[in-house]
Amino acid sequence: MQQIISQYFDFGVMFDPDNFDKVLKGFWYTVKLSVISGVLALTWGLVLAVLRQTRGRWGAIVRWPTIAYIDIFRGIPALLVIVLVSGSLAALSVENLVTGEKGPIPQSIGVPDWFSQPAPFWYGVIALTLTYGAYMAEVYRAGIEAVPNGQMEAARSLGMSHGQAMRKVIVPQAIRKVIPPLLNDFIALTKDTTLVSVIGLIEVLQAAKDIQSETLNSSAVTLAALMFLLCTIPMARGVDILIARQQAKFQRGLA
Amino acid sequence: MSEPDTAIPESPASTGSMLELQGVTKSFGDLRVLDGIDLSVDRGQVVCVIGPSGSGKSTLLRCINLLAPPDEGRILLEGKEITGRGKEGLDFVRRRVGMVFQSFNLFPHKNALENVTLAPETVLDKGDRECLEDGRRLLGRVGLTDRADEYPERLSGGQQQRVAIARALAMDPEVMLFDEVTSALDPELVKEVLDVMRELADEGMTMIVVTHEMGFAREAADRVIFMDGGLIVEEGPPSHVLDAPREDRTKRFLGLVLEH
Repeated sequence: MQQIISQYFDFGVMFDPDNFDKVLKGFWYTVKLSVISGVLALTWGLVLAVLRQTRGRWGAIVRWPTIAYIDIFRGIPALLVIVLVSGSLAALSVENLVTGEKGPIPQSIGVPDWFSQPAPFWYGVIALTLTYGAYMAEVYRAGIEAVPNGQMEAARSLGMSHGQAMRKVIVPQAIRKVIPPLLNDFIALTKDTTLVSVIGLIEVLQAAKDIQSETLNSSAVTLAALMFLLCTIPMARGVDILIARQQAKFQRGLA
Repeated sequence: MSEPDTAIPESPASTGSMLELQGVTKSFGDLRVLDGIDLSVDRGQVVCVIGPSGSGKSTLLRCINLLAPPDEGRILLEGKEITGRGKEGLDFVRRRVGMVFQSFNLFPHKNALENVTLAPETVLDKGDRECLEDGRRLLGRVGLTDRADEYPERLSGGQQQRVAIARALAMDPEVMLFDEVTSALDPELVKEVLDVMRELADEGMTMIVVTHEMGFAREAADRVIFMDGGLIVEEGPPSHVLDAPREDRTKRFLGLVLEH
């Protein structure tokens, strides 16, 4: 019994300064990945959602590619996108060793080290933004479609163009409605940052795994789990509170 | 309007009225909602449209400001044809024709004053200060000076509808369309909205009012139109259409409405 408990909860392993430091450093990557990808995905998702709402014959030129994009990225695993982005960008930017020919994209993009973060970090940001942008676009769309039709009609009857009405009337209301589901997606994204470990970023999972294989003890992985819970549980409670508030408002007939 | 006139030329079909509909039809799928409407409204006239639900009254209004563009026929505003002109026609009509809806459709994320100023700020070449001043003046006109900072959810139905009227007036329209604007109101709130509309009529606004308020039609309308089955069945001064209708369908409808 003692052995079982200490496999997961060996405080000696957990709080060994060296181990703790490694896991915390890894978790710091997780936080940075989540926040940067989260903000980018929120923005990219809104852009996709609005492009998806374009009307008319000319609108179809942007509408259909947008729908295709959303379907594709919602339909393939985030892990696959991470592998695809990292391997391909790197390969496209390296010099051909035989011919000496330069790759079609510059090294600064193919192997990015922006803001002194390692390339796998940025591959992760790009892949998670591409994937979660598609998820969030669908959330925004639900929000846009939940705004009563009369709002668009009122705005149009006042002389606003479709675009002005979207910007000033529809989207602001839609965003208020979808903050809880967007936060849910953000929580999912936070957890999916661990996938970036497969392309060599020593984020929290990789750091914990290294300690696990060194010590044959899983307490560092438990520590990583605790760090996640410290962030995700308050966020989940926050979502619950927001939903409860909206429901109260709805029941008073105000939403 | 102070803005330069658009390039739409005077139509040779014009008879000099403020608003003219010539053979307007509209179908939704197989349902022919408007079946050839001819209508002409002079400047300053108040026209009340009555009729059973499903008779095409609301669709008529929505055709006029092109929220539901007609399938056939022509609409002329100030002698200029707005149908079949795409965006040009839309811009022309939407800046000259205001609309008030049965369900208010106020913007819930904006307070009363912002509801009134949003469209002029967005659409017109007008300074923010001027828009604000106009907005306050218009809220005063509908008796809501002291509610300027309230959000729609904190206003009564009657107050919301008065804000909606002020919001439509902020675009300085030549014609106002009212689509059953008191139907969603509690009975005690109807009067405050009708009072505002009466004042507007007295000030010479051209108005087309779809309504079930026969009292309002009787005293405020220059002309009453009875619609049924997508057609104008009967029209004339209120004393004729409401008190001495010629058509059986009008008589039957009025019998049902005035009975209770």
